[in-house]
Amino acid sequence: MIVAERKPFEEIKAMIEGCKKVLVVGCGECVSVCMAGGEKEVQILASQLRLAFEEEGKELEAGETTLERQCDKEYLEEIKDKIDDYDAVISMACGAGVQFLAEMYDSKYVYPALNTQFIGVAEREGEWSERCRACSDCVLAETGGICPIAVCAKGLLNGPCGGTNDGKCELSKEKDCAWTLIYNRLNKLGKLDNIREIFPAKKYSVQTTPGRRIHEAFKEKE
Amino acid sequence: MWVDYTKGLLEESGIAPDRLKMFNLSSSMAPKFKEAVDEMTEVAKKLGPTKIVSKAA
Amino acid sequence: MAKAFNEALESGKFVVTAEVGPPKGVDIEEMKHHIEILKDTVDGLNVTDNQSSVMRISTLPVCRLIQEAGGEPILQMTCRDKNRIALQAELLGAYILGIKNVLCLTGDYVTVGDHVDAKPVFDLDSVLLLEAIKGLEQGKDFAGNEFTGEARPTFCKGAIVTPEANPIEPQLLKFEKKIKAGAEFIQTQAIYDLDNFKKFMEYARKFNVKIMAGIVLLVSAGMAKYMNANVPGIFVPKDLIDEMAGAEKGKALAKGIEIAGRMIKTLKDEKICDGVHIMAIGKEDKVPDILAAAGLA
Repeated sequence: MIVAERKPFEEIKAMIEGCKKVLVVGCGECVSVCMAGGEKEVQILASQLRLAFEEEGKELEAGETTLERQCDKEYLEEIKDKIDDYDAVISMACGAGVQFLAEMYDSKYVYPALNTQFIGVAEREGEWSERCRACSDCVLAETGGICPIAVCAKGLLNGPCGGTNDGKCELSKEKDCAWTLIYNRLNKLGKLDNIREIFPAKKYSVQTTPGRRIHEAFKEKE
Repeated sequence: MWVDYTKGLLEESGIAPDRLKMFNLSSSMAPKFKEAVDEMTEVAKKLGPTKIVSKAA
Repeated sequence: MAKAFNEALESGKFVVTAEVGPPKGVDIEEMKHHIEILKDTVDGLNVTDNQSSVMRISTLPVCRLIQEAGGEPILQMTCRDKNRIALQAELLGAYILGIKNVLCLTGDYVTVGDHVDAKPVFDLDSVLLLEAIKGLEQGKDFAGNEFTGEARPTFCKGAIVTPEANPIEPQLLKFEKKIKAGAEFIQTQAIYDLDNFKKFMEYARKFNVKIMAGIVLLVSAGMAKYMNANVPGIFVPKDLIDEMAGAEKGKALAKGIEIAGRMIKTLKDEKICDGVHIMAIGKEDKVPDILAAAGLA
């Protein structure tokens, strides 16, 4: 899932300086799971903004709502009647959701409450780690299911580098060295030959910016 | 852990975190309850009023 | 005029290289002084590439200065800052200036240096860089495009290895890939334990590559302990730390020079490897003393 974290409170508060009515909109999918922008976080942020504004002697009306997800027009439409009442919107979705909401309601300023960080997994309650960089050229088949692009700090395809130390990354004793993990996993599976040959260089041309994918069944016929 | 988190949220909002404290009591512990109330009343007096008007009032 | 580095390697002599770290800024007086001291004492002089991810003068012009002074430069090239286009362009540019010796490195990560918000590149790694050079030597760039004209470059290409990496197996797997990719010479990370190094050389000898042991001058017992705790793949054994600690007050550096000299002499006399790469880290003016202590002056 997409993992994000809430921006510092001061930063969000500064975004809506001068507003009197803001709508805080949460998202029920990834950001709910990683406790950054779901219904509970919407309640918390709206309460904090009200308290902070009032403590400074300013008025703020903060509306709260949480959509199933913000990356689908079907759900974004649900706020079309409500949104006119507000000066601005704070979206607690990931970057994609914020943009889609802003696109649909382009006469309202939409502010992002989160910093979207990575595609990752839940290691344990309250802790998530990055596993995928969406590079459009997945090499997990060769590396025994461990991604060198997302897990190796340098994204090496022919690792490890000289900074590896006791299975940890040059950057920090808390980070695993991806290539030591890959070596050990392939060794366990009897597939070390996968990395004995020189891995060809990454093809960055497949990562178009911005990316776009159209399902075969929906492609227009010539 | 969640109490500390909430104190952090209060602090971010410009409210002194000491205004919040967790006490573990049962209904038969009336003297302890009074102590807790006295303690927090002292804290509130020392910190002075916030500008926040309780809407429940 | 210095002999070409590849000729020194092929001659079978015990090869000695050292390194010059360009400064941050444009005050090159001290660097020119180091080049002056070192150019005639060594077979090759490495120029580091934004070492430790600290921004400094780029390597190619410094290699040119070494060449103009009559020395033999070795261009260190990391993959941290340049994509495959820039790397190849730099290699061709080096070649047309007569700079043919290249040491290929992946490079330290950006955040260990002094521009922590810079975008890390790492488009290639050391193995792919060696392959790219092989391709250029055949008149083809990394994307398979043919060169204009008939001229073809030849480089003397090298790489590094950490003989005491822990765990060692992934390191050796990568070492073999570097050789497959065309590495002709190897400069190792600093070694201090000659018994361990001999074991590494028993394995490494079966490959057709010249190996130069990395020698880092110890300046204090504290430095040795610091490296043990913080630098991956460097292990200074207790007896050397004790020897440094036991040196007379003010004589720690002299002790370090003695130790380095002794190690180099053993490596040479016992034909353990093909040469040494001396990293004096700020004490470049002591390199001649180290060589003298090794009986190589």
